[in-house]
Amino acid sequence: MYKIKLDQFEGPLDLLLFFIKRDELNIYDIPISRITSEFLEYVNLIKLMDLEVAGDFILMASTLMHIKVRMLLPREIDERGEEIDPRADLIKALLEYKKYKEVAEDLTFLESHQRKLNYRGYFSADEKIAPPEFDTLLKNISIYDLAKAFKKAIDGVKPQVVHEIKKINISIDDQIKFILDRVLEKGEIHFLSLIHGMKEKIRIVITFIALLELTKIGKVGIKESTEFNDFVIYGLANG
Amino acid sequence: MDKSYNSIIEVLIFSSDEPISENEIIRAIKGIDGEDIEITPDNISETVDLLNKSYEENGRSFRIKKIANGFVFVTTEIFAKYVGYLSSEKSKRRLSQAALETLAIIAYKQPVTKPELEQIRGVNSDYILTSLLEKNLITIIGRAESIGRPLLYGTTTEFLKYFGLYNLSDLPKPREIEEIMKDEDFIEQKNKIMMNFVEESIEKELNDENNNTTE
Repeated sequence: MYKIKLDQFEGPLDLLLFFIKRDELNIYDIPISRITSEFLEYVNLIKLMDLEVAGDFILMASTLMHIKVRMLLPREIDERGEEIDPRADLIKALLEYKKYKEVAEDLTFLESHQRKLNYRGYFSADEKIAPPEFDTLLKNISIYDLAKAFKKAIDGVKPQVVHEIKKINISIDDQIKFILDRVLEKGEIHFLSLIHGMKEKIRIVITFIALLELTKIGKVGIKESTEFNDFVIYGLANG
Repeated sequence: MDKSYNSIIEVLIFSSDEPISENEIIRAIKGIDGEDIEITPDNISETVDLLNKSYEENGRSFRIKKIANGFVFVTTEIFAKYVGYLSSEKSKRRLSQAALETLAIIAYKQPVTKPELEQIRGVNSDYILTSLLEKNLITIIGRAESIGRPLLYGTTTEFLKYFGLYNLSDLPKPREIEEIMKDEDFIEQKNKIMMNFVEESIEKELNDENNNTTE
């Protein structure tokens, strides 16, 4: 398989034109089966990377597969009794796209030429004295300018202070397991070292509730600590 | 036309912020010197040619160009790097391939809606349209009468200036599909198919004959 730089193509049509040019295929007689499988390989590649772009490519992939199926069926016939090539629409789209792609190349040429020229600078700092035009409602202004100004005005409004509430996924059951694991590991543990490193208040509260629960059902015991403001949790044999 | 008008035309072009049209020049001259002054758009074009010729002979660094439906002073190419060194305008990034492609379609098909544009490009074009609108190369010129009344897009004066075009008919001509069809490699390929077809049918006939004789 060929390695293709992903951002090289402007879209599915561009990619198809690339295949056609690379393999010197005839645009009027595209080998649909071959190009479809190549196209799908490419789509699988981009699906992993960029979902937004991938949508357009997947659409084209399904179009190609649809054409492939129609190629196998007896040809439909138009009102003049001529066979309809299932590829006709695709070919038309490819040629139309190719047409504008070529113009874009011409524009690139104009652009690079024009970039070397500079217009005489504007007297933008000067106050302009122009007679008011009473009959002109919108002068050199488009709806887009209005929309932009409106957006700027709206964005300028001070945002309200919002207090964010973060959801912390923690349950008493989790903390029961946590305490039991620690007690099992150490035999005895100080409460303060149990909650050491916990950043949220709620976590400490839940841990405490879990501890009370454990004591109630007789799985752990609590005893006085030598240190002030602390106590020791120890495992119970029947727990 | 009086020779002194050469300088008047020159100064009018020089003092205009935007490309100034022949009609505006005429309006200014007639407004001051009276309606009976005989001056035509052709006179102005001739004057501009004369002015440009004198700039060239005197080795000046600028010319008057016909851009965006009017006349405007433009620096010459050989000084580009010096002017560009100080001008942030020109150091801006060039347009991407996608942007040029989109502009080409809008320029030829305007007024054009987003769905029509995306149909041709085969990709979603939201982002490109927004950035072209921001660069003021395209603008919204109305709404289509079709269902949903989609916005219609068209190119701006800025577009003409960006590409150095006088008006839209100055755009490079796209090759018609018929022309692309006449392209050499396409003809060659077409001939190849035709030949294959002929060969196949000859082969088939030969086979048929052989079959007939063996029977």
